[in-house]
Amino acid sequence: MNAFLSAFWAEALKARRSKVSWLTTAAFSILPLIGGLFMIILKDPEGARAMGLISVKSQLTAGVADWPTYFEVLLQSTAMGGTILFAFIAAWVFGREFSDHTAKELLALPTPRRVIVGAKFVLTALWILGLTLMIFVIGLGVGTAVDIPGWSLEVAYTSFWSLMTIALLNFMLMPFVALFASVGRGYLPPLGWAFFSFVLAQIVSLLGWGDWLPWSVPVLLSGMFGPRGVEQIGMHSYILALLAFIAGFAATFAWWRSADQAR
Amino acid sequence: MGFAIETSGLSKSFGQVRAIDSVNLRVKPGEIYGFLGLNGAGKTTTIRALLGMIRPSMGSVKVLGQAVGPHGRGPWRHVGHLVEMPAAYPELTVRENLEIARRLQRISDRDATSRVIERLGLTSYVDRKAGVLSTGNLQRLGLARALLHEPELLILDEPANGLDPAGVVEIRELLASLAHEKGVTVFMSSHILTEVDRLATRIGIIHKGRLIEELDAQQLEELRSQRLEIKVRNLQAAQSALAQAGFAVKVKAGKSTIILNEARAIDAPDKVATILVNAGTPPIRLAVEQEEIEAYFLRLTGEKE
Repeated sequence: MNAFLSAFWAEALKARRSKVSWLTTAAFSILPLIGGLFMIILKDPEGARAMGLISVKSQLTAGVADWPTYFEVLLQSTAMGGTILFAFIAAWVFGREFSDHTAKELLALPTPRRVIVGAKFVLTALWILGLTLMIFVIGLGVGTAVDIPGWSLEVAYTSFWSLMTIALLNFMLMPFVALFASVGRGYLPPLGWAFFSFVLAQIVSLLGWGDWLPWSVPVLLSGMFGPRGVEQIGMHSYILALLAFIAGFAATFAWWRSADQAR
Repeated sequence: MGFAIETSGLSKSFGQVRAIDSVNLRVKPGEIYGFLGLNGAGKTTTIRALLGMIRPSMGSVKVLGQAVGPHGRGPWRHVGHLVEMPAAYPELTVRENLEIARRLQRISDRDATSRVIERLGLTSYVDRKAGVLSTGNLQRLGLARALLHEPELLILDEPANGLDPAGVVEIRELLASLAHEKGVTVFMSSHILTEVDRLATRIGIIHKGRLIEELDAQQLEELRSQRLEIKVRNLQAAQSALAQAGFAVKVKAGKSTIILNEARAIDAPDKVATILVNAGTPPIRLAVEQEEIEAYFLRLTGEKE
C-alpha cells in the first residue's frame, strides 16, 4: 500500500468511527426535508393551514411549488448551510489532531507530513461530495413523494451541476478553515473564522461587491441575492476563489511542514 | 562507528526564552542514555528537536547518522518515539490505533500489531476504546506504538509515567532486554531518577537548558559521595570514643545514628567497629551508604543547599 493510501485509510477510519460523520449526515439530511415541507405548504397553503403546518394568518408569496423552485431551495440551503457545515468537517479533520494531542504522533513518521495533510484534504473533499450527492438524492425522493409539478430531466441536470459547482466553491474555501484549525490548534479558531467569513460574505454581497469576495461567490451563485447576484459572478470571481483555495492550501502545507510543534 | 544521536550546539529559543542552550549530546549505538532534568529544564524541547518537531534556533541534530529536518526529514522508519503524555484517538480501539500507526510506519507485516499488543500486555484491552483506557494502559499503548516497527533507536520521554510499580519493572526489563539482546539504543528522559539509575548505561543532566553533566553509570557511581552510618545504643559514649580517635562526628538529626564522611572510616568500617567495641558501646548497625541519585542530582543542580 502506498503512503497516500495508508494515510487516507487512517483518515477514513477516524471519520467512520467519529460521531461527526453521523452529525453532519443528519444535519444535511434536514435540508431537502425542509425544502419538501416548504413545497407542501406552497402547493396547498389552505391544506397546510388546516393541518396546522402554518399559521392561519400567514401569507405565502415566496414562490410556486415546482421542481425549479425546489432545486433553487436546495441550492440556496447548500450554499448557506455548506459554509458552516463544511467548515465543521474541515475543522474536525484538522483540529482534532490538536484537540486530542495526536498531532505529535504524525510528525516523525516514514509517511511524509505532506501526504498526511493531502489525505486530510482528500477526505474533506470526498465527505463534502458525499453529503452534496446525498442532498440531491434525498431531494429527488422528497420531491417525488410530495409530487411537485414541473419535472424535467433538463432542470434536474442543470440543477445537479449547479449544486456540484456550489459545493466545489464551498470546498475551495475550506483550506483556510484547515489553516485556522492547524495554526489555532483546535476547533474554536476555524469555527470562529467560518462564522466570521459567513457574516462577511452576506454583508459584502448586500453591498454589491460579492463577486470580488470568494466567500460570497457560492451564496451569490445559488440565487440567494436574486438573479442580479447570479449575473454578477464572472471569471474574476472564479479566479479569486481559486486563488483563495491555492493560498489556503499552500499555507496549510507549509505550516505542517515547517512550523514548530512545541505543544 | 557513528553516534546514534549527535547534537552540536543545539539551541532553541521561544521568543525571549532560551529553552535549550548549546546542547552537545553524543549517544553511542546500544547505549541506554538517561536524560535527567527538573521540570522545564529543556528535556522535552531537546526530544522534540531530536525528532524534528521543532526547528533549532542554532546548531544541528543528527539521528542514526542522518541530519534531522527541516520539513520533517529524518530516519523515522528506524526510530520509535514517545513524547510527553501518550495520545491516542479516543473513539478508536487499541488495535485500530495501532493499525493506523502500522500503516503510517509503512509496515507491511500485518502480524506486527498483534505481536506488539502481546509484548506490551495489552491483549485484554485490544478491543477497548482508547478513550476509556487508564493512564497506565494509555502509556502502554504509546510504548507499543513506539516499538511497533522494531526500531533501532527509541526516544522516550518519561516512559514510566502512569505505570504501576509492576509496570515500571516490566518496562524497565523490556527496555534492558531490547538494548542488551537486540542492540537497540534507548534515549530516555525521566524524572524518576532511581529508574534511570537502574537502567541507564550513560547519563546526561540538563539544567536550565544546558547540559551540565554527561557521564557513564560507573563514573556516576564513583562521584556519588559515600558515608559510614553507625547506629548505637549509647550515642554520647560512641560520639566521644570516635572523637577521641580523631573522627569528625556528625549525628543524623532526630536519630541515634552517627555519620562519618571520612575516607578512612568508609574504607575501614571494621576499625571503627573495634573502637566502639573497646569503648563499651558496640554498634548495632554499621553500613556504608551511598548518596542517593536524587541527592547527587540536587547537589549538582544547586537546587538544594
